[in-house]
Amino acid sequence: MTGTAADTTAIPNPCEAGQGSAADDTGTQPVVFSVRHLWKVFGPKAERIPEDASVTDLSARELREQTGCTAAVRDVSFDVRKGEVFVVMGLSGSGKSTLVRCLTRLIEPTSGDLEMDGEDVRAMDRTALRELRRRRAAMVFQHFGLLPHRTVVDNVAYGLEIQGVGKSERRERAAEMVDKVGLAGLEKRRPGQLSGGQQQRVGLARALAVDPEVLLFDEPFSALDPLIRRDMQEEVVRLHREEGRTMVFITHDLAEALRIGDRIALMRDGQIVQLGTPEEIVGSPADDYVRDFVRDVPREQVLTVRRAMRPAEDGEATDGPALTPDTLIADAIEAVARSGGPARVVDGGRCLGIVDSACLLNVVARIPQPHHDAPGEVAA
Amino acid sequence: MTTAAPPTTPGALGAGKLSPIQGLLRRRGLAKLLLLAVAAAVLVPLVRSAWPGASWPGALTVDLSGPLDHASNWIIDNRDSHWLFVYVLGHLSNAVVLSVRGVYLLLLALGWTGVTAGVTLLAWRVAGLRIAAVALVSFLVSGALGMWVPTMQTLALMIVAVLASVVVGALLGLAAGLSPRLFKILRPVLDTMQVLPAFAYLLPVVMIFGIGVPAALLATVIYAAPPMARLTALGLRGADAGVLEAVSSLGATGRQRLLTARLPLARKELLLGVNQTIMMALSMAVIASMIGAAGLGDRVYQALASVDVGAALAAAVPIVLLAIVMDRTTAAAGEKLGATPAAAGPRLLRGWPAWAGIAVITAVAALVGRLAGSAIWPAGATFAIARPVNDAKEWMVNHLYSGVPVVGGTADWAAHFTNWVLNPLRDGLTALPWYGVLLIVAALAWLIGTWRTALTAVLAMAAIGVLGVWKPSMDTLSQVLAALALTLVLGIGVGILAAGSKRFEAVLRPVLDVMQTMPQFVYLIPVVALFAVGRAPAAAAAVVYALPAVIRITTQGLRQVDPGAMESARSLGATRWQTLLQVQLPLARPALLLAVNQGVVLVLAVVIIGGLVGGGALGYDVVTGLATGNLAIGLVAGVAIVCLGLMLDRVTQPTERRTTGKGA
Repeated sequence: MTGTAADTTAIPNPCEAGQGSAADDTGTQPVVFSVRHLWKVFGPKAERIPEDASVTDLSARELREQTGCTAAVRDVSFDVRKGEVFVVMGLSGSGKSTLVRCLTRLIEPTSGDLEMDGEDVRAMDRTALRELRRRRAAMVFQHFGLLPHRTVVDNVAYGLEIQGVGKSERRERAAEMVDKVGLAGLEKRRPGQLSGGQQQRVGLARALAVDPEVLLFDEPFSALDPLIRRDMQEEVVRLHREEGRTMVFITHDLAEALRIGDRIALMRDGQIVQLGTPEEIVGSPADDYVRDFVRDVPREQVLTVRRAMRPAEDGEATDGPALTPDTLIADAIEAVARSGGPARVVDGGRCLGIVDSACLLNVVARIPQPHHDAPGEVAA
Repeated sequence: MTTAAPPTTPGALGAGKLSPIQGLLRRRGLAKLLLLAVAAAVLVPLVRSAWPGASWPGALTVDLSGPLDHASNWIIDNRDSHWLFVYVLGHLSNAVVLSVRGVYLLLLALGWTGVTAGVTLLAWRVAGLRIAAVALVSFLVSGALGMWVPTMQTLALMIVAVLASVVVGALLGLAAGLSPRLFKILRPVLDTMQVLPAFAYLLPVVMIFGIGVPAALLATVIYAAPPMARLTALGLRGADAGVLEAVSSLGATGRQRLLTARLPLARKELLLGVNQTIMMALSMAVIASMIGAAGLGDRVYQALASVDVGAALAAAVPIVLLAIVMDRTTAAAGEKLGATPAAAGPRLLRGWPAWAGIAVITAVAALVGRLAGSAIWPAGATFAIARPVNDAKEWMVNHLYSGVPVVGGTADWAAHFTNWVLNPLRDGLTALPWYGVLLIVAALAWLIGTWRTALTAVLAMAAIGVLGVWKPSMDTLSQVLAALALTLVLGIGVGILAAGSKRFEAVLRPVLDVMQTMPQFVYLIPVVALFAVGRAPAAAAAVVYALPAVIRITTQGLRQVDPGAMESARSLGATRWQTLLQVQLPLARPALLLAVNQGVVLVLAVVIIGGLVGGGALGYDVVTGLATGNLAIGLVAGVAIVCLGLMLDRVTQPTERRTTGKGA
């Protein structure tokens, strides 16, 4: 054990250091999608809008009134790193579905740069683009998009069929995927005979069958019942844990975003308002819009003890239960309540700080802790 | 205070009933009428001073008979020498003759055993056991009536015509489905073709090909291909955009998208298209007997010409049976699409072994028939129904035509209808100044549609005048209006009853099903038996033909009225009558308008065909033109029919049309 005072000053900004573990892992990972200044404008002479400095700063309504155009995606930049779950969240009409379609050019972007693994996607010709869609990025849709005249297994094998994979081989791989998403025994059914949740499992299996580098999800669970939605979210989390595949996930459900996202980009009117880990979004909202958005989130389920701890006082550094810095507030509350005294936050044998019931309650009650709280990383 | 409150409430309710949209509509309608009235006030005196008299002014007509005769003579003279005929139409005509002949010979070679076995097995494979039984009985009955050979002639023509129509229609539909621009051009054309009476297509093909099988087949294809094209295009365009996007997202090429997603997604529409094409082809193949198609239609035609109801019936029964078998088989195939593969029958009945099995059994049956020595139909196994039917008809003529106490007789009714309804209506329409008719047409079409529809309607009506067939057209119009009024009163009345009583509807449904599958031609037979010949029986046939569609659309429309609105009306204590008048009928307005539109189209089709049984007017002109080889008269009448059809459709056309009317 080293001196506690030195320790706390060594980490002046717990929040910045306190990014989620996944983000820590992926921070060094290669970039899969690199998006820079991407625009998608619908309307007459759409290609002029992004270059015209006089209109780029207008609000959505003013833009429509002045030019007759709608900017679904406005000057959006972000990186998706290998192995992370990148969530794009926003209300309907915020442009998130358009954004994800721009990634594989299902919707042609108006301007900006778009790279996948360092390759310029916007410069690709038809064949190269088709190859990208066939093997590197597969999408799961809100309304499933299954072929109603085909059986489950033939739907799952469809992507392989398009690639020209032989019948027996694609059947075999499709059967494997059907097993993986928990639909064994339903191979011969038609989509119309399945429940919504089962249909989306088929959609998921179809995307997985082509073994893509990236999975794109466009509000995949919005059309499902709440209980089934929860099941499917767990399924996605499980798949991600097992395979570590990169995922871009579109949703309008904040709880869903917080549950499965490593990083979240919050969109409004085509722009990214805030980009960060769930903890940053909830703990340090970039503006009133985000603050309003995350108001009802149970903070103890998202925030960690980094955000609650205070410097250790004399004698405390050796006493009480030890917690890692990534412990959720909710778990810390339990630990503190059980031991009856403050708990230590320990990282690699060093004591970073102390949390007691007052600290924890402050976080839950949204009372700022002036000497520790600091703004989170706010992007774009 | 409390006593003052109640009187104000009804007033407020009354004001609330007139929704702002309704008010606007009413005012807009008024504005249109006012505009028209102003235009009329300016134009009518001018027109009157220029051309006095009620009938279409002679100065405004163009006599086409000269040029048309010239053109027809030119075609006849050059049929063997001009390159267009020698290298294009000649080959086409030869191909048609050869293929129809080939199919006919094949059917004859199979013999009655082979054909019956083949058709029955086919129906079994495609539509199940029950319809197979219907097919078996139908073909046996056709043979037993002594109609085997004409049935095979009609079947041969049908097979070639349906194949050609489906191929042509599907290709057109494919092109229109994939190209939005082509769709925009093609759609109004196809929509219009679907409302034109079959008679309108006869003359042009006769002019080019002369009377014979090629003309008959071509007329059939022209008449039957549009529904296929239309439904193919609609099916392709209506494919679920989400599925197509998903398919694209997996990297499908354009061809893969079409073959694996778009076409399979449109299967329902494609099969419905085949079904409608078959029904329309049958309807036309029967009528085309007038331009050289041998077979059942020809038998009916000949029998009607000599008012031999018995012989006509003997030929009509196989037509009806053929129609029912074809309709049910294709319809069942369409319904089975949605079913699970397990429900599609045992394994043996699936895939190519089934088809091969059908072919083998058919061949064996044909061989057995041959060996048994009766290739066509066993000579002794027929019974002629013509005589007993004619005896029954004689009895009817003697006992029912007139002098029945209290109710009078059928011939009396027909005479009354002619004297009291048709004649005054015709005289009234003829006496009405022509510009008055144009104004009424404009007002009606504009009120119910847009200025475009009004313009089309007025131009179509004016074209009739220009062609110099104003008078016969007014005659036809009077029959159409009388028959339409009767159809609507009966149809909407029965429709209301059917919508109100599930049991009544259950009884009615199979009757309507059969009535809607029967070709137009067949309806002439019973009315001739009942009312002899004349304009009244033609109108009666039109009423009977149009009734099922009107009843069906009315019932559906009333059934689809929001149950919430009905419930709230009932909860307010409305009587059944009040609910009907104040909630159901107003809410079902679109359906009722559609019923009127379909009614008009169907009535016109049969009124024209009524020219065969003494309906006179335009239909008669077509018949005479064909019979005497005076193509000019027939062609002009044909164009007038097209114009009349166009006008009537536009005048009654609600903004959105649905695809319910079969065999229109």
